Amino acid sequence: MRSKITGDSLTAYAFLLPGFLFLAVWIIYPMLKALQISAYDWSIMPGQVSEFVGLDNYVRALHDGLFWLSFKNTLLYAGVTVSGQLVLGLVVALMLDQITKGRVAFRAVYYLPVVTSWVVVSLLFKYLFNASPAGLINYLLVDILHVLSAHIPWLNEPETAFVAIYSLGIWKGVGWTMVIFLAALQSIPAEYHEAASIDGASSWQIIRLITLPLLIPTMILVMIMLTIGAFQAYIQVALITGGGPLHRTEVLLSYMYDRAFTDLDFGYAAALSYVLIFVVFVISQLQLRFLRSEPMY
Amino acid sequence: MRKKILAIIAPLILMALLLTACAPGATPTVGPSPTPVVVKETVVVEPTLAPAGPVTITFWHTYNEVSPENEMLVETLIPMFEEQHPNIKVESLPVPWEDFRRKLLTSISGGVAPDLARLDIIWVPEFADVGALTALDEAMSDFDQYKDAVFPGPLSSNYWAGHYYGLPLDTNTKVWLHNQEMYDAAGITEPPQTMDDLVGQCEAIKKVNPDAYLFAADGTWAWVTLPWIWSFGGDITDLDVTKASGYLNGPKTVAAYEFWLEMYNKGCFAPVILGSGIDPWSGFAQDLYASIDNGPWMYPIFEAQFPDKELHASLFPAGDGGSINVVGGEDIVLFKQSEHPEEAMEFIRFVLSPQYQLKMAEVGQLPVRLDLIESDYIKNHPYCGIFLEQLRTSKSRTAHPAWQKMDEIITNAGQLILRGEKMAQEALDDAAAQIDALLEQ
Repeated sequence: MRSKITGDSLTAYAFLLPGFLFLAVWIIYPMLKALQISAYDWSIMPGQVSEFVGLDNYVRALHDGLFWLSFKNTLLYAGVTVSGQLVLGLVVALMLDQITKGRVAFRAVYYLPVVTSWVVVSLLFKYLFNASPAGLINYLLVDILHVLSAHIPWLNEPETAFVAIYSLGIWKGVGWTMVIFLAALQSIPAEYHEAASIDGASSWQIIRLITLPLLIPTMILVMIMLTIGAFQAYIQVALITGGGPLHRTEVLLSYMYDRAFTDLDFGYAAALSYVLIFVVFVISQLQLRFLRSEPMY
Repeated sequence: MRKKILAIIAPLILMALLLTACAPGATPTVGPSPTPVVVKETVVVEPTLAPAGPVTITFWHTYNEVSPENEMLVETLIPMFEEQHPNIKVESLPVPWEDFRRKLLTSISGGVAPDLARLDIIWVPEFADVGALTALDEAMSDFDQYKDAVFPGPLSSNYWAGHYYGLPLDTNTKVWLHNQEMYDAAGITEPPQTMDDLVGQCEAIKKVNPDAYLFAADGTWAWVTLPWIWSFGGDITDLDVTKASGYLNGPKTVAAYEFWLEMYNKGCFAPVILGSGIDPWSGFAQDLYASIDNGPWMYPIFEAQFPDKELHASLFPAGDGGSINVVGGEDIVLFKQSEHPEEAMEFIRFVLSPQYQLKMAEVGQLPVRLDLIESDYIKNHPYCGIFLEQLRTSKSRTAHPAWQKMDEIITNAGQLILRGEKMAQEALDDAAAQIDALLEQ
């Protein structure tokens, strides 16, 4: 049998090569290196011998209360921010789909937070939620709206600190889900809506029975992407609370980062990163399995 | 079967790639990647080039980039050194204090450490312990001459496991700073002499403005809590640093934390101590906090940011143990990875010269040379005196490679106590047990 690599596919491989080289050097190699590190009590000094510990670092994670706490916090962060972004992004997209005037302007405004720097907006939210009257949220709630009687030290309690972290996560992500949903909405053939309205369907019925079912594949995609993104939450936590008070707002990445760069426990941190990969993989597979559906059009 | 395995592994790999692709730049997944060996190889080539032109040495420090200290260093002192040593160029890199330890550690692991660094005295044992520093008492032929010229206290912070890994560069401690306007309004005539004075002062301050606080500090870490623990007569460990039980949870230390809790609950200590709120010096400048304890660097900062606010200094209020604050300061260290140790040591000699030390004193840095204390300049200095007086009784933090972890344990204990989640005795018993475990390793 003749080889299947024809001239054309050879060209294709040649074009793939540079991209693959970058991938190999910057992603695949560090990944494998991290896998190696995770099996050692890794010494950061060049030339020093690191002790091989096998799966010890992984076993340690199972017995580490703070790891489980940060795991729980990450799951909660994913749950709250993913559903928040999905629902709000969908609502905004549906509204923008209806209007004709100023759509571009609104789209730009909603999309703006997506392109702002995480560092900048995290610091901004930290100031907004400052404990003193100088914090805008406290000022609004207490001095202007009189909803609360005293200024809340938002960031000193995990429950209220998460309000700041969640709201930042949702606010910053709504624009992205909106754009994806808007694109999906515009790809739904107009005839479906026309036919439905001729048949006498109300606009709520059209949304519920036609638009939403047709959006399901998009929703699954958005949900998986957002969930992966939520597991990557780091900057907002590191800058707003630093994982505090008493590590109670720690998420997986912030916990992992501190183990590596504060405790110099690179072996343990690398093991945690592989636990993270495994967890995200499992969750994405579950989402795919339970939500998979054929496109309806 | 093989297909099935592939079907499982392929998406797993894909997922891993996706994760690393979206990961923030500094996650450990990507972090410790470069092989040091490669870097070392390139390093070896350099010295052959060296004699041709001037050698460049790098000096990392934590002077604020826009501070009088940095200006003095970059615009006056380094040019002075380069003029005296035409074959050496000094590259100075300011790094924010919070990031400094991490940046140094990652640079060391990547084989790209600087030649020299101005290290917080408390980090020297840790860096020496990982094997990153050159023992100066072995490397410098004239080490003894410098050893004898400086204060023994700051010098001792360079000592770890039988060797001196650096030389003191500057020293400092904190003193009690009060807000004269708030004192006047509350009818307080003089700064507190004892801990008991604080209780009365707080009542007077609160009477004028219930939203004001007597004292503010920005956390429960050892740098903040140690002066109180020591002044109450307590301690963290025994002198030989073998155990914390009986010290960190001893009756005097517990009394210090109980005093704190009482003051905190009465609204005498500002809530910023638990992490969020108006930071101590802004609150001080805004007449919200009547006192803080802080170091000599506050003078240039206040001069620049709050020129209308004057600082009034006095000794830290005394308890059963006396008036004891914590010794701070920095050491200059030479990294083993340095390619130009001889030139770097030349710079070390320069920073320990009276010339350099006096220039730095002009911008708020206390000198470490014994002969300078008697100089007219220091004698007539507006605020050096009170810090030097406080330094007579100030103590050093525990010199130990695991200090960073010990400090975190202490920080957490303070949080648990002030948040009312644990009684002082219980929280400190736990903390002492944790530190005992660290010290055993």
